[in-house]
Amino acid sequence: MTAMSDHKHPTLAPLQTTTVQYKPEDEVDFVVVGSGAAGGVVAKELSTAGFKVVVLEQGPWRSEKDFVHDEIAIFQQGALTNDFSKSPNTFRKTEKEKAKNQPCLAYGRGVGGTSIHFSANFWRFREIDFKEASVKGTLAGTGFADWPITYQDLEPYYTKVDWEVGVAGAPGPFDPPRSRPYPMPPHPPKSTGILLERGAKKLGWTAFPAPMAIASKQYDGRSQCVQCGFCLGFGCEVRAKSSSLVTVIPKAVATGKCEIRTNSYARKVETDARGRVTGVKYFDAGKKEIFQRAKAVVVCANGAETPRLLLNSKSNLFPNGLANSSGVVGKYLMFNGGGFANAQFEHEVNGFKGIVATRIVWDLYELDPKLGLVGGGGFDYRFDITPMGFGFGGLHPDAPKWGSAYKRELERQYNRTLIAYGHTTSLPVATNSISLDPELKDAWGVPAIRMTYQDHPQDLKLYKYFSDRAKDLVDASGAVRSWQPPVDSAQFSVHLLGTCRMGNDPKTSVVDKNNRAHDVKNLFVVDGSSLVTSGRGQPTMTIQALAFRAADQIIGFAKRREI
Amino acid sequence: MSNLSRRNFVAALGTGAAAVWLTAETRDLLAAGARAAAAAKAKAPYKVLTADQAADLDAATSRIVPSDSTPGAREANVVRFIDESLAGFAKEQKDDVNKLVAELRRLAAEKHKGAKSFAALTVAEQDAVIATMEKTKGSHFGDLRGMTISGMFADPKYGGNANKSGWKVLGFDDHFSWSAPFGWYDRNV
Repeated sequence: MTAMSDHKHPTLAPLQTTTVQYKPEDEVDFVVVGSGAAGGVVAKELSTAGFKVVVLEQGPWRSEKDFVHDEIAIFQQGALTNDFSKSPNTFRKTEKEKAKNQPCLAYGRGVGGTSIHFSANFWRFREIDFKEASVKGTLAGTGFADWPITYQDLEPYYTKVDWEVGVAGAPGPFDPPRSRPYPMPPHPPKSTGILLERGAKKLGWTAFPAPMAIASKQYDGRSQCVQCGFCLGFGCEVRAKSSSLVTVIPKAVATGKCEIRTNSYARKVETDARGRVTGVKYFDAGKKEIFQRAKAVVVCANGAETPRLLLNSKSNLFPNGLANSSGVVGKYLMFNGGGFANAQFEHEVNGFKGIVATRIVWDLYELDPKLGLVGGGGFDYRFDITPMGFGFGGLHPDAPKWGSAYKRELERQYNRTLIAYGHTTSLPVATNSISLDPELKDAWGVPAIRMTYQDHPQDLKLYKYFSDRAKDLVDASGAVRSWQPPVDSAQFSVHLLGTCRMGNDPKTSVVDKNNRAHDVKNLFVVDGSSLVTSGRGQPTMTIQALAFRAADQIIGFAKRREI
Repeated sequence: MSNLSRRNFVAALGTGAAAVWLTAETRDLLAAGARAAAAAKAKAPYKVLTADQAADLDAATSRIVPSDSTPGAREANVVRFIDESLAGFAKEQKDDVNKLVAELRRLAAEKHKGAKSFAALTVAEQDAVIATMEKTKGSHFGDLRGMTISGMFADPKYGGNANKSGWKVLGFDDHFSWSAPFGWYDRNV
């Protein structure tokens, strides 16, 4: 009776899930906290270089057989993500308010982290993203700043992600320079992609293939994508999506040097009297506290859990939290904002089939200064609404909500609907933050995340501008009917960025340009929290490039005994 | 839930009217689905709902998604989905369902003097009751609609969406693989 029972999976040899095991009392070279997009890369690089690595992952180790096309399990039960009943959080818009218990973030909980269920849009940032504040001017009252590294510093590592993780695509007119072509050709265009091409052409813009971390042909022992249509929110059943679970983690395990310790929830990074990190205290599956000794620690727990762990690691030497002499840990939280337009077409689009996006438009990546807006954005068309979600809210806001008229609309529109996404810059603002809730604790008794977030007025103007242009696009594509969802300040995010920002100045940043904590020589932080600016959405490619680069630097430091 | 943007989508599904079925363990769901399939076939008695409650919910969910030229909530076994869920992962929503049925009966009695149940009304009267609920703040319309949509379109293993009838209404098929052309526009380039 299950939906999948009549489908045959291709035969995939199971991936190895037993690893070398270290004893907590043995001092390993590195503890890596988190096994997601960043942690997986760091673990693979460090263990390949011969170091002893323990990866602490709070969730379980799943495989393809655990992944199902089930909306209730995924979106309502959070089968792959953080469990709000055990790990609650609070939210407020401004520091003046008392935060309320309200789910405000989601991330992957398990080996592979969020890379298990992401859409796999793998845009590189462009040169401007690293120096936009000095080129275009910063904005008073924000932390809009240049990065301490340039696109050229990161380019070799973007290429490493392309080849070692696996990205499919073809360069477009606005691509930043690349040292090597894509390893895989782009996926075939869907009707959403063809319609975007049509609309873009009418507006004088150019649509080009979307770079996706999904195998478009057999790659590195993994299957070619079968275009099942269940990317966003779901795990890939055929090992085509280039998640850490199936790319870098197996390589880390194969070194025989890397232990993946699952169901291990990091509680505190411990330090000694000299202010050096000595290891990580964590809870095992039975909630027993265990201390794993290490020569150095790399925190890759995501832009919300990483600052939380540092803030929960305070001590006499670090009274405001570990590596927080700047007071910046947890601050400058960025989501990825955007402006949207929904559209219905005359013929079948069938957006439910295939990968999320096949074409993108970057003509508005940088905007005419006369508009007075900060940043820019890029577009794609998608239909990422699963059947239940469409029943709840996929129709025009004025459409009937029940009865035969409602049903006729569902029948007519499900296959004819798409959403134009304008992914944009979001500004770093000091008052947007992850902090510790003064009252609420999780099921382990650890202070919970308190999120404070309100989109900057300038961002809301930018989102509106992109929503308007998204509407122009779908209308130019020939939409029968189109509408714009209201632009509101966000209260929920799956992109968690900027909370341990990178910089040259220890007074205004948490990590240096090599992802080493300014305050602690043997502590490194690399994940979405490192980002200084938001790019134009799609942060994972840059997070993984940073992770490859940081690992390279860490290996150099370790070999030269500079840790 | 007018904004279906990526950053709001998960939140909207998790916290909106759809949150009727929020507290389950996945393994319970799987077991519930298998039981539901068997129970529907055997016309077994309901586990949680009384026969009267089931009759009113059958009538009400059938107004949300009627059976007409294509299958509706009735053919999708939406009431069986509700019963199985209440017996398993959605125990905490029992009170909401009791209140919903009570509201349906109260409004039925107002609409048609002496009516003892919602199911006893004519279809036109039932539609008038639902229309009133939709317009009334604090009514259980959202729960009724949420349950119906969940039972219509969730994976059939939960006991609703029988024979994928809900998915057929949409034109969705949970096929394991697709290949180009996917739609009219990439077929007619």
